[in-house]
Amino acid sequence: MVDLNTVSPKDPAKRYYLALGLEGSANKLGVGIIKHPFLPETGAAAKDNSHDCHVEILANIRDTYVTPPGEGFLPRDTARHHRNWCVRLIKRALLEAGVRDACAELDVICFTRGPGMGAPLHSVALVARTCSLMWQVPLVGVNHCVGHIEMGREITKAKNPVVLYVSGGNTQVIAYSDHRYRIFGETLDVAVGNCLDRFARTLKIPNAPSPGYNIEQLASQCKNKETLVELPYTVKGMDLSMSGILAYIDSLAKDLFRGNKANKVLFDKKTGNTKVTVEDLCYSLQENLFAMLVEITERAMAHVNADQVLIVGGVGSNARLQEMMALMCHDRARGRVHATDERFCIDNGVMIAQAGLLQYRMGNYVKDLSETVVTQKFRTDEVYVSWRN
Amino acid sequence: MTTKTARPAALDHTLTLNVPFETPRQALIASQVLQPDPILKPQDFAVSYAAQGPCLEARFCGRDARVLRVGVSSVIDSLKTIIESLDELDQTGPSSTEASM
Repeated sequence: MVDLNTVSPKDPAKRYYLALGLEGSANKLGVGIIKHPFLPETGAAAKDNSHDCHVEILANIRDTYVTPPGEGFLPRDTARHHRNWCVRLIKRALLEAGVRDACAELDVICFTRGPGMGAPLHSVALVARTCSLMWQVPLVGVNHCVGHIEMGREITKAKNPVVLYVSGGNTQVIAYSDHRYRIFGETLDVAVGNCLDRFARTLKIPNAPSPGYNIEQLASQCKNKETLVELPYTVKGMDLSMSGILAYIDSLAKDLFRGNKANKVLFDKKTGNTKVTVEDLCYSLQENLFAMLVEITERAMAHVNADQVLIVGGVGSNARLQEMMALMCHDRARGRVHATDERFCIDNGVMIAQAGLLQYRMGNYVKDLSETVVTQKFRTDEVYVSWRN
Repeated sequence: MTTKTARPAALDHTLTLNVPFETPRQALIASQVLQPDPILKPQDFAVSYAAQGPCLEARFCGRDARVLRVGVSSVIDSLKTIIESLDELDQTGPSSTEASM
């Protein structure tokens, strides 16, 4: 039994909830404002309606801290970026959503409590605490991964999918069971997005709009899709390992730039002509990584007997990954793959508001500010998912 | 600014900042926002906050001048964010002269 209406809206006459979401766990700063109508069918229903709250998105603003080509983002600089922009983005979001009196209109303020980089998380949490005290609005600390999952479910209306969460900091295959999002498989070292980002740094390609997007563009220009560059394929049971693949393809790229003719993978033995281009490397890297992801996702589907997959996280906006996953789902029980576009895939404030508002509606919000201390390590299965059956 | 005092503990480098706010309520909010965050190395650095009227009093003590400087500057960075939020976003809240927290 799930009653999503345990807490009534601030102004019962209005019959809706309004939530502000603040996200800043990595290099994106996101502010979102959403509205949930107060529906009788979500109250005391035996059915699980948490994937269908009729969410209305009033504002979804994001500002990304972009570093020069060849450089990654460092926690200190990212935190400074978030501190500089957070208040301005909140003002813009309130204006866009038409919220004139935040104190009277907002039901809850949601912020990312973890996982992520400590310093950026902390700077956003400070603003969240200040707003909460200033406006006397309750706070909810949200797990970033759960934010992704709940936003994906709401947008795609997938009821109980196997979730593939792929981003710059996380790679997990998740299935829901008994009030927890349980991790079926995950990376043993670096995340898939981190692997792509770092390869982009080796290639010195721009980090705007995102390194992964630029790799995807290069890969789509590959003219030699029949012959893949052979890379290590490192699925370890339900888990993955990607650091070795990255080290190997990095060394290939460096040999290519240096013109190291001794490398037989890149240069023809007799003529010394280049056999492989940067585009080929990007294409092969994507194919190899995504094949590994599809394999463990398929195994998770077999385990839990699911026919739906939901892809969330920044890498989830990659069209090739969505295509490969769709092929697998189609071959297997005519299943369906659900994915969203960059507005909801890439980190944003709306997803934090969505997960936070669900938590708030179950009556679970911060009672003491000591619960708002951010944490770099916060596993998906630590969260008790009270809003699902 | 750093003065040596006769403290029994090893944290003998101290500094006190008095930050004026527009209202006692704002000073109280700032102290409540800063309070929860734990100090990473409590054996090297400690800080306490108190709102006294419209002023926030922050007392720092550190093992040496370097630790003290790093700790103080990170708190000042946090304070800047809090003050910007109060300045820019408080108009939408209850009247800022109201001291009812």
